[in-house]
Amino acid sequence: MATQTNITLYTEGTPNGLKATIALEELGLSYKVRAMKLFEHEHKEPWYLEINPNGRIPALTDKEGEEEDEEVRIFESGALLLYLVSRYDKEHKISYPEGTKEHWETVSWLMWQMGGLGPMQGQANHFFTAAPQRYEYSLHRYTNESRRLYRVLDTQLSKNPHGYIVGDRVTVADIAVWPWAQAWKSCGLKTMDEFPNVQKWMAKLLARPGFERGRNIPGPHFHIKLNELAEEEVDKLMRPRTGWVLEGMKKDAE
Amino acid sequence: MSTPTDIHIYTGQTPNGIKVTILLEELGLQYKEPWFLEINPNGRIPAMTDTLNGKQIRVFESGAMMQYIVDQYDKDHKVSYPFGTPEYYETNSWLMWQMGGLGPMQGQLNHFKRYAPEKIQYGINRYEGEVKRLYRTLDETLQKSSSGYLVGDRCTVADISCWGWVAMARSSGVDPQNYPALQAWVERMLKRPGVEKGRHVPTEHSYEKFQTMTEEEFEARAAANRTWILEGQKAESER
Repeated sequence: MATQTNITLYTEGTPNGLKATIALEELGLSYKVRAMKLFEHEHKEPWYLEINPNGRIPALTDKEGEEEDEEVRIFESGALLLYLVSRYDKEHKISYPEGTKEHWETVSWLMWQMGGLGPMQGQANHFFTAAPQRYEYSLHRYTNESRRLYRVLDTQLSKNPHGYIVGDRVTVADIAVWPWAQAWKSCGLKTMDEFPNVQKWMAKLLARPGFERGRNIPGPHFHIKLNELAEEEVDKLMRPRTGWVLEGMKKDAE
Repeated sequence: MSTPTDIHIYTGQTPNGIKVTILLEELGLQYKEPWFLEINPNGRIPAMTDTLNGKQIRVFESGAMMQYIVDQYDKDHKVSYPFGTPEYYETNSWLMWQMGGLGPMQGQLNHFKRYAPEKIQYGINRYEGEVKRLYRTLDETLQKSSSGYLVGDRCTVADISCWGWVAMARSSGVDPQNYPALQAWVERMLKRPGVEKGRHVPTEHSYEKFQTMTEEEFEARAAANRTWILEGQKAESER
């Protein structure tokens, strides 16, 4: 039985969007989904900038307070994750109690994803599929940094017999990293074989019903399909989807 | 009157390092500062250890450290809001915005503008465009703010996290004077005793120098750092 909420999630099926939908499904919450038309730059429209001044997805609105009538807005996927568990995970299914050592370890890894893995792998994705020509130095800078980060993750996972990033349960740290890990091929990484513990962990989480439901909202999980394809096929599939990125960069520069 | 703690800080003179030392000074906390040791599995600064409920704890990533320090030590909410309030969540959103956006993107601008072994104009343009967009976002938010801080009526970890990066704008090749509300905020923060003390830890902060340096001087300064940065990048890529 899903728990009713006043949440509206503004999102799409990018790695950052999936973080939010997976967390919501893992928590068994009922919420509205507003799929944003990224290709048409809907996320830059004035009404949306009131919700996220940065003009990016995901973001959410919810209602707070005794009467549930105070609007609250949250932007940045890491902030969404912390909001959802602090408000809706009192049983600590996917979190640790505030103020514990495990809570802070989780937050450290969440920030590691937010400040490191996401931005760096995101730049790799840009230079692999969106930049108007191949810039080898730039692509290698970001694929190598992504590999370094996965090595760090692989080491952490190898030390935990439970097979999660922190302790004995899935946390927002795992949820934040997983959709990015599943997008490895579209970001120019050749293989994940060098990270056997990461591969085990990717499969382990894929088997969870919350991850299965969440990764397919608002539409079928896109990036995971690319992992089985040859590099040229990946390029063919990704190129038509990335024109809007260069359009956006041009508009922002004006 | 400063408060003793068991906090050890592992840090350096970078925008992320000074976030933490500024916050500690804002809260009047004492902290120990051994020379840089690696207790962060990611091998980066800053990082910290502390004693929590009798157990040793580590916290890495500047954003996590910011949250930890206010959660544990800012019960009076001098630079934070009570847990669970709309302002608390808004502060978090901006902290994450800095961690995921401003820091990484201005960091990439620094790389392409100052450290890359050759000038790659596409990279410089991409990251300069993004940093300007991020500065515009901050500027627009600050214009609407009656306190002149990012969230509500006080300086928070959101302001402190962004400040070190915006303070080095000229070094990154961006002119903050183009964003009047943002520039006013930079100067407002600079007047705070905690910011003044914390920004010079562990070594002198270069804000004043940056205001008058020329492009050539910025390039020369970058050349001194380029070697170790590219060596690190090369060493990791060969693994």
